[in-house]
Amino acid sequence: MGGAFGDTLARAQGGDESAFARIFRDVQPALLRYLRVIALEAEDVAGETWLQVVDGLAGFRGDEQAFRAWLFTIARHRAVDAGRSRARRPTVPLDLSGAAEQLVSADSADLALQAVSARAVVKLIAELPPDQAEVIMLRVVADLDSGDVARIVGKTPGAVRVAAHRGLRRLAELAARAGVTQ
Amino acid sequence: MSGPDAMHGEMPGFPPGRPGGERDEPLLDMIFDRRPIPPGAPSEMHDLARMLATVAGPAETGDLAGETTALAAFARLVSPASVSPAAKRPARRWLSGRPARARLPLAAALVTAAAGLGSITAAYVDVLPGPIQQMAHVTVGAPAPSRDLSYRPPAVRKAYPRVTQDLRTVAPRPTHSAAPSPEPDSSSRQEPRPGRSGRSPGPVGVTCTPRPRPTQSSSRPSPTQSPPEPSWNPRFPGPVSCLNIPTKNAVPNPSW
Repeated sequence: MGGAFGDTLARAQGGDESAFARIFRDVQPALLRYLRVIALEAEDVAGETWLQVVDGLAGFRGDEQAFRAWLFTIARHRAVDAGRSRARRPTVPLDLSGAAEQLVSADSADLALQAVSARAVVKLIAELPPDQAEVIMLRVVADLDSGDVARIVGKTPGAVRVAAHRGLRRLAELAARAGVTQ
Repeated sequence: MSGPDAMHGEMPGFPPGRPGGERDEPLLDMIFDRRPIPPGAPSEMHDLARMLATVAGPAETGDLAGETTALAAFARLVSPASVSPAAKRPARRWLSGRPARARLPLAAALVTAAAGLGSITAAYVDVLPGPIQQMAHVTVGAPAPSRDLSYRPPAVRKAYPRVTQDLRTVAPRPTHSAAPSPEPDSSSRQEPRPGRSGRSPGPVGVTCTPRPRPTQSSSRPSPTQSPPEPSWNPRFPGPVSCLNIPTKNAVPNPSW
């Protein structure tokens, strides 16, 4: 959004619905892609995240970078809550239905057959170890620097950098195996 | 492989001491920072940069899911009446969001109602001091104070209600002094009947020392005379009045 973010945020805080919609459309794709990596019910978690954002929007102070950090921090907390809630509910193991193998093979097949879409890359990133996948999504998709990512995930910036590098190397291997080459 | 830690010669693609390699770190940092990588970089780095640019790209179908819900939530909170911060609070905080001026009369009314209810309850169970009990008897129809209007320790009545009831019917209560009155009113005193010594409570006094045995009364021979009364226990030569616990076979204090 660039330099227009401050003005848009001020109008949204004053009750301008179009300004809020502009902010939503700017960050919602990144938010959903991030949540699709770290949560199962990404749309539900995103909805709860926005409810909390709307609740605290009037009191927010900061620039666009700070807003993104605030938004993704809320999203991470809601995802953790959703994961705990899901863990308390009885579920049917995926291995019983064979869906796990179908999902894995579908990712690779999708990547090989169709043009590389954002959703396909998100699925590929989701195959990484969770900490590496989350760091990559926060660095690349949420466009946060190492310091903000470190604060969100509770690690040092050095650990975040190491996890990001390892994740990218692993992602390059997965992409080569799936046939995503020029 | 020779074990968990491979020898350097077994992994020719990686420099010694750097498993996984670190020579590509500047390139990886360039990808993260979205800077163009050099044309001579390995092809997998170009592929990686392209993938990350795609995933950080514009919205695709389905990436704006939930927009209607979020906008509805925003519109619900933003209304002409909710310009003030108090109106922007969620509905679940309605009680804490009330202004203090509205809460003060409510709190005062609750405190007044609780105090009034408690006072009426105390009046009906007859635990108020005499004058106040009398006033409650006149105003709200509570039971009248049964005896005098002096102060009665409520703990005695609560712990042994039957005993105090007997005291009310048997003898007038002494005044605040723990010592028995020197000469009680003979008209209000009821002499213990012979053979009813087991139900006679001890005095209300708080002394814990055995009182001297009374002189011989008309209905009871002195223990010094033989034979002793069968109901009298020689192990307890005199009633010990402590905390108003009635002693079985106790002999009433003659001063009562």
